Amino acid sequence: MASTASDRSFAALTAAGALVVVALPFLGNDYVVGVGLTVLMWLALTPSWCVLSRLTGYVSLGQVVFYGLGAYLVVVTWQAVPLWLAIPAAGLLAATFAALVGGPALRVRGPYFVILTFGLAELVKFSIMAYEAASGMAARILFGAPDLMVIYWLMAVLAGMSLLLLTWVSGSRFGHGLRSLRENEEAAETLGVPVERYKLLAFVLSAAIPGMVGAVMALRSTYFVVGQVFDPMVSVTVIAMALIGGGDNARGPVLGVLFLALLSELLWAQAPLLYMIILGAILVVFVLLVPDGVIGLARRLRRAETLA
Amino acid sequence: MIDTLLSGQLLFAALVTGSLYALIALGLNLVYGTMRMLNVAHGDVVMLGAYAAFWAFTLMGLSPLLAGPVVALMGAGLGVLLYRGVFRRLLAGVTPSTAGKIEGNSLLLFFGLSILMQNIAALAFTPNNRAYAALGEVYRIGGVAMTGNRLAALLVAGGCSIAAALFLSRSVAGLAMRAVIERREAASIVGVDVDRVQGLSFAVGFGSAALAGVLMSMLEQFSPFSGFPFTIAGFIVIILGGLGNVTGGLLAALLLGVIEVYGVALTSANLRSVLLYGTFVAALLIFPNGLIARRVMAR
Amino acid sequence: MTALLKVQGIGKRFGGLIALTDVSFEVPAGAIVGVMGANGAGKTTLFSLIAGNARPTTGDIQFAGQSIVGLRPDQVCRLGVARTFQIVKPFAAMTVRENLRTAAMFGHALHRTARAADTATEPVLEEVGLAAVADQPASTLTLSGQKRLEIARAIATGGRLVMLDEVMAGLTPTEVTQMLDTVRHLHSSRGLTLLVIEHVMRALMDLCERIVVLHHGQLIADGRPEDIGRDSQVLAVYFGGTR
Repeated sequence: MASTASDRSFAALTAAGALVVVALPFLGNDYVVGVGLTVLMWLALTPSWCVLSRLTGYVSLGQVVFYGLGAYLVVVTWQAVPLWLAIPAAGLLAATFAALVGGPALRVRGPYFVILTFGLAELVKFSIMAYEAASGMAARILFGAPDLMVIYWLMAVLAGMSLLLLTWVSGSRFGHGLRSLRENEEAAETLGVPVERYKLLAFVLSAAIPGMVGAVMALRSTYFVVGQVFDPMVSVTVIAMALIGGGDNARGPVLGVLFLALLSELLWAQAPLLYMIILGAILVVFVLLVPDGVIGLARRLRRAETLA
Repeated sequence: MIDTLLSGQLLFAALVTGSLYALIALGLNLVYGTMRMLNVAHGDVVMLGAYAAFWAFTLMGLSPLLAGPVVALMGAGLGVLLYRGVFRRLLAGVTPSTAGKIEGNSLLLFFGLSILMQNIAALAFTPNNRAYAALGEVYRIGGVAMTGNRLAALLVAGGCSIAAALFLSRSVAGLAMRAVIERREAASIVGVDVDRVQGLSFAVGFGSAALAGVLMSMLEQFSPFSGFPFTIAGFIVIILGGLGNVTGGLLAALLLGVIEVYGVALTSANLRSVLLYGTFVAALLIFPNGLIARRVMAR
Repeated sequence: MTALLKVQGIGKRFGGLIALTDVSFEVPAGAIVGVMGANGAGKTTLFSLIAGNARPTTGDIQFAGQSIVGLRPDQVCRLGVARTFQIVKPFAAMTVRENLRTAAMFGHALHRTARAADTATEPVLEEVGLAAVADQPASTLTLSGQKRLEIARAIATGGRLVMLDEVMAGLTPTEVTQMLDTVRHLHSSRGLTLLVIEHVMRALMDLCERIVVLHHGQLIADGRPEDIGRDSQVLAVYFGGTR
């Protein structure tokens, strides 16, 4: 149970953050809004990942597959289907994919699940690439996409939804069941937790919003190349952000996203390789030394203080 | 079409690919068998071996056949260094109950290492593709045209893999290694020097990966990011062949070589990755425990 | 009066290994029945079959008149059957209270909120002697504490049938006496039915009103503790013949 002091300060941080999000388009130029959009995107992707991987312990290295599927749907139905229909449909597509694949996939444990999700994402990527090549499409271009402000607001809504989803699940009975199966799946099931159903539900929930995020981001670039959209580094970045933050509620992702998104903004244009090296180093350092992230570290320090 | 399918040419290609995969999987199997952790950075050691051979050839004019043993030894040295420096301590503290928790996280750790290796290499060597021409003479054996480099790759990779399998099944040291792979605590009780065996596994594991890289560098162009598909191929092989099972790995590697080469021949080059990852996903879904089913003890 | 638990002709094979053959016995409501047998006799397998962790190859198991063969472990638990694990499986990173919360929320009692669950588990913590460590992570408990946690979790599910698997193992004689008192108290205060696997003979004979004996997967005796102690088959198996 966290102390109310840190609860209050986090609530204040959230309120301040919401203010910044709302004010940004009116105060900043396109570049600033673009950065804000990127931060909002990660804020939409990472908490959804946490719903599955933090709470159940089934670490997915394939989060990008939902993102890519959503983007692909929008691109393929461009001009044929209105956006207000395509974006939710993208979320539904991602969730359906998760529902179909999740059953067999979640029977695989530990590191095998990690590489399985990675392999699945790559399989979907290469399959779509092969299909596009066979149909003679090198890249797809979207004409008449909505402007940056619309995309920004859409993403803000998705980020809010994602954070709310994680907060709600984390505090619910469902969330407690997920945590129990993370600690010991056999014991949890013997104590009445319907583990298979819960794992699958968490998986499906973790897919829906990223699907819609992909759909919205497809509008941003207007130029769709399969290999770039299904970039495994998206999956890795989500993990890194969650790892830096730690914890299994919304606080961790917010911290991790802010830190890493700002870092990447600083480095990406000038030194992308250096950014990647830092990303790799972060993974190594955090897994070895700070596996429960900044939040966990703070909690341990607090506990040490009270015991001393 | 049938002519192509039945041709010795295709069979030769499948054998070359298969033997390379066998060598890579051998290293992965030994390292996994010892650590019970999946080394996602294994393919990047292959990549480093390829670069070593490349620089040896372009800067010193050294033939890959000569560079091979040297690079392999360097790889083995790297393995021993990593074992002594990092993993020995990590392994000592792990109990069966904490192992599960660490396993999932350890994969991320190796993934981080992989990203580090790839991007440091890209920074040092530039991200561009590299290639060189060596041993390009064509030999005609039994009506099949074989370039020297492909033939060498087949003989070296195949030979080493078979030798390793024989070593494990016939020699006393091999028996000790298999014991450690099967059950480390029990092996130490019966007097096996577990520390030495683990160090040896790392040495052979990394050394064989580096050697595979040298061989690979003769056959394809490569970049700092070429390692990963080899890691995936290695994983497919060890999952299909049984984790820790070297002989099974040999057969599975051949199977994968056949699937890849004949699959591409039957369909198109675009589908090479689809076939690779498709086999990978299927293998994991069909064998969810990744292990050949062991006899269950009932209480 | 129908028995709460009826095991009928249960058999289980794992590939070529036959773990249980034609085991039948009944457990009346409110009884304390012991399960005795050497290592490998099939005792824990029996528990796994009843709790739904494994499926019998042959035979039927009835709980409260309903067949429970083929049900998932979580379904069996919600019906009212709870078990402990011989090798303890605590939710290590969670506190003791949170461990019980899972049982109270998802077991037979099915409390919907954390608060309701915690209120219901407060007395269990007291009775089992874990109240002092309720808010500490389960990983910090001693072995004795973790065994108590296993029992507490099973009780917290609110189930009527509680199966205890070697809860005395590894305890000192003093701890065994304490544990016996705890178990007896839980049994009487909550009107539970207990099925108990135990190696510690003193505990078994003291606690149970009836004992079934398993040997190589077969039931070789079923009766009161005194009678079991005199049964020729049991003596043959344990002592190689009559004294």
